[in-house]
Amino acid sequence: MNINWQRVWGIILRHLYNFRHAYDRITDAFYWPSLDILIWGLTISALQTAGNTKLLQITMILTGVILWYVIWRGQYEITVSILEELWSENLVNLFVAPISLVEWVIGLLGLGFIKLFITVAFTALVAWFLYAVNIFTLGFILIPFIISLLITGWAFGLFVGGLFLRYGTNIQTLAWAGGYLLMPFSGTYYPLSSLPQWVQKVAMFIPSSYIFEGMRQVLFTHTLDATFLYKSFLLNAIYFSLALWFFVASFKQARKVGLAHLK
Amino acid sequence: MSQNLLQVSNLTKKFGPPAGGFIAVNDISFVVGEGEIVGFLGPNGAGKTTTIQMLLGLMMPTEGEINFFGKSLNSHRQEILQKINYSSAYAELPWRLTVWENLNFYAWLYQVSNKKEKILSLCDQFEVLPLLNKQLRDLSAGQKTRVLLTKTFLNDPKMILLDEPTASLDPDIADKIRRYILNERKIRNLSILITSHNMSEVEELCDRVIFLNHGKIIAVDTPQGLAKRNKNSRLELMIVDGLKRLIEMIYVKKYQFTEKNRFVNITLPEAQIAQFLTDIGKRGVEFSEIEIVRPNLEDFFLSVSKDKDKDKNL
Repeated sequence: MNINWQRVWGIILRHLYNFRHAYDRITDAFYWPSLDILIWGLTISALQTAGNTKLLQITMILTGVILWYVIWRGQYEITVSILEELWSENLVNLFVAPISLVEWVIGLLGLGFIKLFITVAFTALVAWFLYAVNIFTLGFILIPFIISLLITGWAFGLFVGGLFLRYGTNIQTLAWAGGYLLMPFSGTYYPLSSLPQWVQKVAMFIPSSYIFEGMRQVLFTHTLDATFLYKSFLLNAIYFSLALWFFVASFKQARKVGLAHLK
Repeated sequence: MSQNLLQVSNLTKKFGPPAGGFIAVNDISFVVGEGEIVGFLGPNGAGKTTTIQMLLGLMMPTEGEINFFGKSLNSHRQEILQKINYSSAYAELPWRLTVWENLNFYAWLYQVSNKKEKILSLCDQFEVLPLLNKQLRDLSAGQKTRVLLTKTFLNDPKMILLDEPTASLDPDIADKIRRYILNERKIRNLSILITSHNMSEVEELCDRVIFLNHGKIIAVDTPQGLAKRNKNSRLELMIVDGLKRLIEMIYVKKYQFTEKNRFVNITLPEAQIAQFLTDIGKRGVEFSEIEIVRPNLEDFFLSVSKDKDKDKNL
């Protein structure tokens, strides 16, 4: 496979330019994460005042919020970037250029990677500034956690992106709301053991649930059961491969009807 | 003209189920030579856009082969797309981005060397320089078309496919663009496949015209050759005296005609005009104005379109 990095950079550049002009994208990157941190922080502070919670639990929930944005950012960059091409009817000009599907996908994944740092750094800063919560106390284990969550986000983004290539903007709400489907089964804010049995069973098949469990283990015991990471990466490998296959198949399907007809 | 830059063989596109689906393009074959400008004409729904989408790899053909530069589009897509480009008056670019940002990211996609110089030089040619910092959404349709044409020449293409390139442009800008296209063909043997509803533009630009109807090629000829296929000319007379006698004669000859305020417009074979004028002179018909309109490409287009409408009504 011959990947031309100039073309990949061209794709990233197109969306970075867009980010500069699109106030709604800037809002998505900074406003909502800040609001989440603020609301969750205030809620926990209120519980703390009532004597029901500890500082460690604030850290657990706010770290959960920040790490959740890793998944969300990964899927959002793929899905909304595809929507941007559909809204601006640019798909025709894009694929008249000598770009391959793989280069396009790498560009979108790379874009998610760049913006992930912006959002995570910003939300971490907000959490530290407002509540003195430092997610970096997790140490270097944060790196595989973030990588695993990012792959989960990418896999979900490719799956939803594939749906857009088949059904167009009729289902565009999935770009923002779709990722939240994973949230209840990921144990983002609470230990999985506190959830109903059926939710725990579903969670076994969700890669992010192992990461959030691992995060809590590190926060509470300063140790990590490595099987959390293995299981998470194994499931990610399966889901990412399936999502990529679905995305490529959807693109082929779209070309049967004609990319110009996608709206 | 030397080698064929584009060779299309038995191209077919069916939509819907294999049995009873709709055939948009039906087994067409044609070539475009190096340095040749070929018009791709036909009424709405003839299959032009579907064909162009297949030529650009945006749509998969049901059957047939597309070869550019002697290589299959299917197996050499990226290599071919690096050497060709496309513009349509109806295509869009990201509307939030400025003109400069649009052209710059496309320059990256086409791996243009000296991006800045290339963009500025083309913008100068297409009179886009004053628009560089404007967002696409703030441009008029004509300005957008010029930006798209600028994008089309970013990669110094060997062949371009143009879909109604001058629609929505002011006549003076449209003329400049036609001059630019002809000049590009002259200096570097650029090949062009162009669709247009502006028949005088096709007559001016094209060496050859491929006429499509119902998804099939019904004629391939020079614009002049196609125009001559319609044998009838139009004779326009302003009658001073003898209008009734003239109309009687037209009925006898079974010509088609219209009459309004003593202006009579008669459709008849060009070879019979002289004799007809002699005959009406003998019958004492007097006229003060005369105009003979020879058949052109538009007449051929209209005659085919009328046939299409007839088919629809059957």
